Amino acid sequence: MATAAPQPPNLSNLLLGVAEELKLPLLQIARQAEQLALNEKASGLKTIQSTADSALRLLDNYVLGVRLALEPAQLSRESVSVSSVLYDTGQQLDALARNYGVKLEMNVAGRFGPVLAHRQGLQAALVSLGAALIEALPAQGPAQEQLTLQLATHRSRYGIVAGLYAETKQLSSDALRRGRALQLHSRQPLLNLTHTSGAGIFVADTILHAMQLNLRTSRHHRLYGLGTVLQPSRQIQLV
Amino acid sequence: MSSILLIEPDYVLAQTYRQALAGRGRRINLATTAQAAILTADRSKPDLVILEIQLVEHSGIEFLYEFRSYPDWQNIPVIIHSHVPPAEFADSWQLLHDELGVHNYLYKPHASLKQLNRAVLDLILQPA
Repeated sequence: MATAAPQPPNLSNLLLGVAEELKLPLLQIARQAEQLALNEKASGLKTIQSTADSALRLLDNYVLGVRLALEPAQLSRESVSVSSVLYDTGQQLDALARNYGVKLEMNVAGRFGPVLAHRQGLQAALVSLGAALIEALPAQGPAQEQLTLQLATHRSRYGIVAGLYAETKQLSSDALRRGRALQLHSRQPLLNLTHTSGAGIFVADTILHAMQLNLRTSRHHRLYGLGTVLQPSRQIQLV
Repeated sequence: MSSILLIEPDYVLAQTYRQALAGRGRRINLATTAQAAILTADRSKPDLVILEIQLVEHSGIEFLYEFRSYPDWQNIPVIIHSHVPPAEFADSWQLLHDELGVHNYLYKPHASLKQLNRAVLDLILQPA
């Protein structure tokens, strides 16, 4: 069955989403600073710092996505270890996950050879995606157990999948398709997934699209996730 | 002891607002979704509701319609404390105020903790 090729993301729509999304960390910083000043305590400074870092990362990733989309010539692909990208992604997301009470788990079991990708772009997409999911998970209602986000890589019949997985059925292909269509027209294009504009997910979508990859829903070990399919680097395999 | 139901989907903001509102003989009960908020209201018997409109799945407005449909909760004051700019509510303010009993609207990016606390003080009696 033929499937329609995904449309290139609209960068103006994305900018609106990013601007809206940035209000959240800035608001968190402003109110936490006010609360600290009222209580004359400095113990919340770490939270403020990681919130600011996360906002800066979202901006950086947005800029990278736009650059790659506008100047595809900048895209130099190399052989990349997916496991190492996932480890670095986990490190970048660690402080934000702590702020939100979400546990990060690595699942990079199995031996996968390198893939062909733009390393910085792949990592930026996964970090954007992860930050959006970390914010979204606690907003979905009271959890029976510790909220966990798994950074995983596994083999599928299409290639090697790198993605982020959680116990949330809201991560469906339908939700993603509707979200892409609603990006400009709704303050909450991913209504069933997140209370925010979901800009991190659309930034990841933009970066992956610029790299001629697709953001897609995926399932792994009974978890639901978002990720991308990467092709093995044949050059290295021959060595 | 007065009871406040704080409906805030963002985990980090929820902790900050809870800290800022707590004390002064107040009990703060937190809910992140509309559905959880109804259950929490049933359990905690709130004297005041502080509500974000942008929630996952069901919006704060849907919550308000359900909340007001119960006779016991028709007169409990509600403050909307939201990311949604007031201009987007200009046309529906009358409905929110007259029919859904919204007493105050605070635009989150511009509302300090002090302003939020003042709005709360205006609506619930301080314990003796």
